[in-house]
Amino acid sequence: MENLSVALVTGCSTGIGLETSLLLAQRGYRVFATMRDLRKAGTLRQRAKGLPLEILALDVDKPAAAAQVAASILKKAGRIDILVNNAGWGSFGALEEFTDDEIMAQYETNVFGLMRVTKAVLPAMRAQRSGRILHIGSLAGKMTFAGIGLYCSSKYAVEALTEGLRMELRPFNIETAVVEPGSIRTPFKANRRKSRIFSQGKSAHQKVLANILHFGNNPSPLAPGPAQVAKVVLSALSSGRMAVRYSVGLDAFWFPILRWFLPDFAYDFLLKRMYRRFTGGAL
Amino acid sequence: MTRGPVALITGATSGFGLETAKLLAGKGFQVYAGFRSPQKLGALKELEKNLPLKSLYLDVAKPASVTKAVASILKKEKRIDLLVNNAGFVVAGFLEDLSCQDLKDQFDTNVVGLLRVTRAVAPAMRERRKGLIINMGSISGRVVFPGIAAYAASKFAVRSLTEGLRQELAPFGVGVCEIAPGSFATQVVSSTRFGQGVRSQDSPYRPYIAAVEKRVAASFKYAAPASVVAKLILRIAQGPAPKPVYIAGTDAKIMDFLKWLLPDAWLEFLFMGFFRWSRFPRRE
Repeated sequence: MENLSVALVTGCSTGIGLETSLLLAQRGYRVFATMRDLRKAGTLRQRAKGLPLEILALDVDKPAAAAQVAASILKKAGRIDILVNNAGWGSFGALEEFTDDEIMAQYETNVFGLMRVTKAVLPAMRAQRSGRILHIGSLAGKMTFAGIGLYCSSKYAVEALTEGLRMELRPFNIETAVVEPGSIRTPFKANRRKSRIFSQGKSAHQKVLANILHFGNNPSPLAPGPAQVAKVVLSALSSGRMAVRYSVGLDAFWFPILRWFLPDFAYDFLLKRMYRRFTGGAL
Repeated sequence: MTRGPVALITGATSGFGLETAKLLAGKGFQVYAGFRSPQKLGALKELEKNLPLKSLYLDVAKPASVTKAVASILKKEKRIDLLVNNAGFVVAGFLEDLSCQDLKDQFDTNVVGLLRVTRAVAPAMRERRKGLIINMGSISGRVVFPGIAAYAASKFAVRSLTEGLRQELAPFGVGVCEIAPGSFATQVVSSTRFGQGVRSQDSPYRPYIAAVEKRVAASFKYAAPASVVAKLILRIAQGPAPKPVYIAGTDAKIMDFLKWLLPDAWLEFLFMGFFRWSRFPRRE
């Protein structure tokens, strides 16, 4: 039986977005896969041959772009059943050293951009009185790690938006959930934007940040790949009623449990111990 | 003559900020009370007369005012011992009714503003290997209430920033902690800004807005005075190493406990009933 659901997935040039849009298309969803830069569509285009997948340009940072894309999907397909808010990136640096522009750029994509796309599809979903919105959050939305604190704060905000949208959209039969991958083998780390001051080697936290970066660039070979995240997205979308959050990977499963039963001071102690590893007598 | 510790408090014209400024100045702190609008200076000017308190223009949403204010304090006092990142406000409205600008303004003050002031103050604290930063979070930084989810998003971010700053500044001897208050008798309701589409006749959320407003009004009915939080800040400032988080207020403590105890879906179910959401749609 053909599945006629229409799905919009953002950030599909690589990683989680790419795998998710492909998997959904393979399962018969009519997928509109968007990305900021169509020149990066090569891989997706090649792998999507013969699948019900269409590639569109969408920069979630641009104010009117999301509404235009939603309108064009509605014109082509008549409805939007599923939105996967995946577009996002991570900054790297000490929290006290980001410039205003760097801070705003991080929230622009991960928080405001996510809301822009969500707002663009909501009128159609409300009219249908059905729809599912999945945010790709992160373990970083539940715990904050030094060096990627700004990224973490944007993902904390995504957690709040998920819980808020869930309740606010319930009367319209629209469901929202967040998928929280832990460390995943994706090009995410290559796309990481370092704070200017750290790139220039002038950070007051230079050595520590360099150690953290080195640690982060060598993820465990056991970490799941983006295809695993796509599978979790699919299973969430095909479940009877979506749960609030779905974790992907062992770290994303265990860390929050640890956080849950450890008292604040013990958790704080652990975090600081972890952090001290990186300082390595540098201070 | 030994001078007391130097404290900078943002958003000090009312509520937690004003109470904290008053209490700390009374206990011998050299208090610098940041304000945004000169029209609201009345209470601070009164305190300036006989307390070691000085008001200064510091709008956390205006980068130049932040650097200028902090530089002037450092020039005069050579140090800042305590920073209370208190300035903030609420953007209310269902998320779909908020414009992107509403959301941005919310973050610009509550999140970026906090980082702006911290960025200006932290180097001086690091240099002296001493200092304390207290960030004003909220119970909304842990539990999301429908109708003020944008505010919750900003306070979730503050919770994360506090955790991050705490780790990053600990090796420099600078302490960072968060206070998460529930409902207190402050100006938070009167200073609340409604999002773009909230008052519109076509808002799809019209039936629910009234329910939320009623709920908010009820939650402030038995609100404790803001001085409770001021006392907590004094206690943290005078005590040994601060805990990571202080939950303030009985309502906040209960909510935080429920959030810890209950599975996500249960808490949500509780809230939906709490807000008397009209009939849940039945699944087809």
